[in-house]
Amino acid sequence: MDQYRNFCIIAHIDHGKSTLADRLLELTGTVIGKDRKAQVLDSMDLEQERGITIKSHPIRMEYAAQDGRTYTLNLIDTPGHVDFHYEVSRSLAACEGAILVVDAAQGIQAQTINNLYLAVEHNLTILPVINKIDLPAADPDAVTDQIVDLIGCDASEVIRVSAKTGEGVDALLEAIVAQVPPPAGDVKAQAQALIFDSIFDPYVGAVAYVRMMQGTIAKGQRIRLIQQQRDHEVGEIGWFRLSRVPRKELSAGEVGYIATGAKDVRHIRVGDTVTLVDDPCLEAMSGYSEAKPMVFSGFYPTDNDDYDNLKDALQKLQLNDAALTFEPEKSAALGFGFRCGFLGLLHLEIIQERLEREYDLNLIATLPNVEYEVVDKDGKILLVENPALMPPSQEITDVREPFVRLSVISPKEFIGAIIQITLERRGTQRKMEYIDTERVNIEFDLPLSELVVDYYDKLKSVTRGYASMDYEYTEHRAGNLIKLDIMINGEPVDALAFIVHRDKAHHWGMEICRKLKELIPRQMFQVAIQAAIGNRVIARTNVKAFRKNVTAKCYGGDISRKRKLLEKQKAGKRRMKQVGSVEIPQEAFMAVLKVER
Amino acid sequence: MTAPGMQPTPPSRPARGGGVYVHVPFCASICSYCHFARTDHHDAELRRRTVEATLAELDLRRDQSSVLRAGLRPVDTLYIGGGTPSILEAELFRDLLDGLRGRLNLADDAEVTAEANPESFDEDTAITWSQAGVNRVSLGVQSLRDGTLDLLGRAADAATTRAALERACAHFDRVSADWILAPGVTPEALAAEFAEARALGVGHISFYILEWHPGTALTRAAAEGRIAPDPDERVEAVYLAALSALNALGYEQYEVSNACLPGQESRHNSAYWRRRPYLGLGPGAHGFWGRRRHANHAATDRYLAAIDAGRLPEASWELLDGAAGRLEAAILALRTCEGVDLDRLAVSEEALAAGCAEELWVLDRHRLRLTTRGFLRIDAIESWLSSHVIVPERCARVDTSGEGRLPCRDSKQHHPNGTTRA
Repeated sequence: MDQYRNFCIIAHIDHGKSTLADRLLELTGTVIGKDRKAQVLDSMDLEQERGITIKSHPIRMEYAAQDGRTYTLNLIDTPGHVDFHYEVSRSLAACEGAILVVDAAQGIQAQTINNLYLAVEHNLTILPVINKIDLPAADPDAVTDQIVDLIGCDASEVIRVSAKTGEGVDALLEAIVAQVPPPAGDVKAQAQALIFDSIFDPYVGAVAYVRMMQGTIAKGQRIRLIQQQRDHEVGEIGWFRLSRVPRKELSAGEVGYIATGAKDVRHIRVGDTVTLVDDPCLEAMSGYSEAKPMVFSGFYPTDNDDYDNLKDALQKLQLNDAALTFEPEKSAALGFGFRCGFLGLLHLEIIQERLEREYDLNLIATLPNVEYEVVDKDGKILLVENPALMPPSQEITDVREPFVRLSVISPKEFIGAIIQITLERRGTQRKMEYIDTERVNIEFDLPLSELVVDYYDKLKSVTRGYASMDYEYTEHRAGNLIKLDIMINGEPVDALAFIVHRDKAHHWGMEICRKLKELIPRQMFQVAIQAAIGNRVIARTNVKAFRKNVTAKCYGGDISRKRKLLEKQKAGKRRMKQVGSVEIPQEAFMAVLKVER
Repeated sequence: MTAPGMQPTPPSRPARGGGVYVHVPFCASICSYCHFARTDHHDAELRRRTVEATLAELDLRRDQSSVLRAGLRPVDTLYIGGGTPSILEAELFRDLLDGLRGRLNLADDAEVTAEANPESFDEDTAITWSQAGVNRVSLGVQSLRDGTLDLLGRAADAATTRAALERACAHFDRVSADWILAPGVTPEALAAEFAEARALGVGHISFYILEWHPGTALTRAAAEGRIAPDPDERVEAVYLAALSALNALGYEQYEVSNACLPGQESRHNSAYWRRRPYLGLGPGAHGFWGRRRHANHAATDRYLAAIDAGRLPEASWELLDGAAGRLEAAILALRTCEGVDLDRLAVSEEALAAGCAEELWVLDRHRLRLTTRGFLRIDAIESWLSSHVIVPERCARVDTSGEGRLPCRDSKQHHPNGTTRA
């Protein structure tokens, strides 16, 4: 076990985590020849395109160190986004060391700090690494100072690399061997393994990615998942190269996989503990919690005939994504669809994009919203995930909404703008501290509903992309919240309803009407748009009927031209939804995003 | 009231056979609004070569269509359009008509229309046409006022145009005249011009709202601020005024831009709107035969080169499947006062009722017919309706190779006059 080194790489998005992983794989000879390509471990198209890691990708490498011994390095490539906090924490729990990667030009960012704290919480040995030293804008000395300030290490311990050119990566490998402690854990003790990820494989069923903490599990044995209270038989067990390599058994200290044969990935929950049915360990690993969706959106097919296809597609995606939830939902305006729950906005975007791209579905997605706790007159708490289902205000005593602790790291010149946009969104500032002479870390409490609407885009724009952010759910808090209904030609459109603070209702009503007027194209009929609280209309506007007309001559019988134009328009309308006699484009359902505060 | 020179006209009836359209792309000068296939670079030799090539094109099409060869589908409308057919020399025009007649099974009572422009429609031309079998003349009037004719870049002035209109009415029973509702035209002036036409015996009037096509002199002038297009409201007002003036004179609207005295409908154009088959011949012509629509090369040199090489001069063609066909049928029918059969549309009762309430259309004998108000929004209605036409699943194939060959075998079986023998 002395020669095992289990570690992960943590970094802010785009700081070069996946590229560094590529270099490690190459230098250890794990990837050779035709398998070489950029970001080997990010296998989904979306991961490669967006430069983010969505699923964990563990890999086992053999490294011949300078001391003449060969070490087994297990790299666990963790998801790199704020939405996947819990997954990251479980991956960290499976390691003894963490490589903290910081971009030599950008320096420490919000996720760097949060991930670092997470790693420290798990008692991991931190190897600070400055990446991209080949960039013209690189300032490794300044970034070294930031890192020294942050983790209290010695400047000489900071390893400088260029994952792109490979410079310094060999020194990093030596540091991993020298500094990351070998795993502890008794091979003879009762088996205990931590599940840090899982995938669904159509041939062998749900596959758990595990770190053996103690004991041994072998193929064919009966295993028990302690939290889920389910037993399975080990159909296949092994470790990871670029693909899975079957073995006879896994022992304490090793990282590998167990094919359980389970039909549903939701039975193989991240954070659960695997032990043997015949000789179980007494304790489950600590830190288990079930992924809880925080952000909700209604997904509706633009073509109602696609309902079953959407359902199939969601089921397929859920096979590999235990955090995705969906419930059938009916909207008077949009027909049949699903209320889907996500870990966060990025998770939502990824699912939406995969549905459209991999399953060729045209969707209308309603404005993302959060889960409200509504307290009725009897003191009963009702969970409301869909604004349209909010009970009338006279029937409720309280509405509570989720709050997050938000941290924003930015150059100091943007402090004023950041505070302004955050306060406008009902945020309260908690603290501010300088990371170095140029940059600050500001913490806020903020309603999640305000964050999911447009906060990130707004933050990027007021800081010209220099700020980074991270957030974590804290609690539900009571607020003076009401439902704003939007009516088209006198009929409330449930999918346009949203929940807003009472003080802002009037402003929002007017702004939404104005935006909808811009977004709903002129049609054959005049379209009346109104915003209302209960029965009281607080804002109204009209989209005038289309007037412009051309009575084109059919020159020489050229009918094709007109028909092709109509066919093109028709294709453009795939993202329109017919509500009554009005065609409403997808963007209209997102109108709230475009409202100026 | 019967105008001087008017004689009884053959009753209008739906075309049963096929139509033939011949495009003559030559003009004396280029009008400022025109985006059609036309050129003002030509001489007698090019004109003759083009007419001969047009007849050669008909031979090619006959070779490939047993229906045409055997004369199984009589031709009951022939339309010589342009461009400016009246620019053709008398002998050349005769050769063209004789050539067509010799190759086609032209029905005895066929409607034979030729388009003329005032500057080239002299007494000799009128006589030549009449003798050659033309029984309907369509004159490009556009306006009877010098200012508007100038703006439109017309070759003829108002006096020449008036004279040509009188001449047409003197020589032919059936005369159609085109007007353009150009910027600055007042409802009063328009009404007076229509009344003049009515008094001369014009039986058919087309009135087109000016289209601003990219690349035309007029569109450039507007882009540079030298002229100001009328606002939509004014265009609507002029269109409505045109309709009421025509109604007052006894013309009845039968299509969005066409009105006529009883029995004077254009049989040829009505066949387009009913989606009847027609051959298109000549540079830039479009045709629809079988389930195939084609467009010929618009550039005369490319057209001639193809004919010289013994190839069909097609720039593109497509085989229409059910979906495209249904869509075409619906939008074409929507232009007419007959309207669209409701069985062809998947429209909710609610939307149908809303359109009636807004007076965009009426529902009459299970058809949806646009009102005048609806005609003014026909683009929006077409666009909306195109999503609600009941169609089968399959899609059309398009070939833009310009070689006029069929790209694959399976489409050939749908195609009675296939252009390849492969």
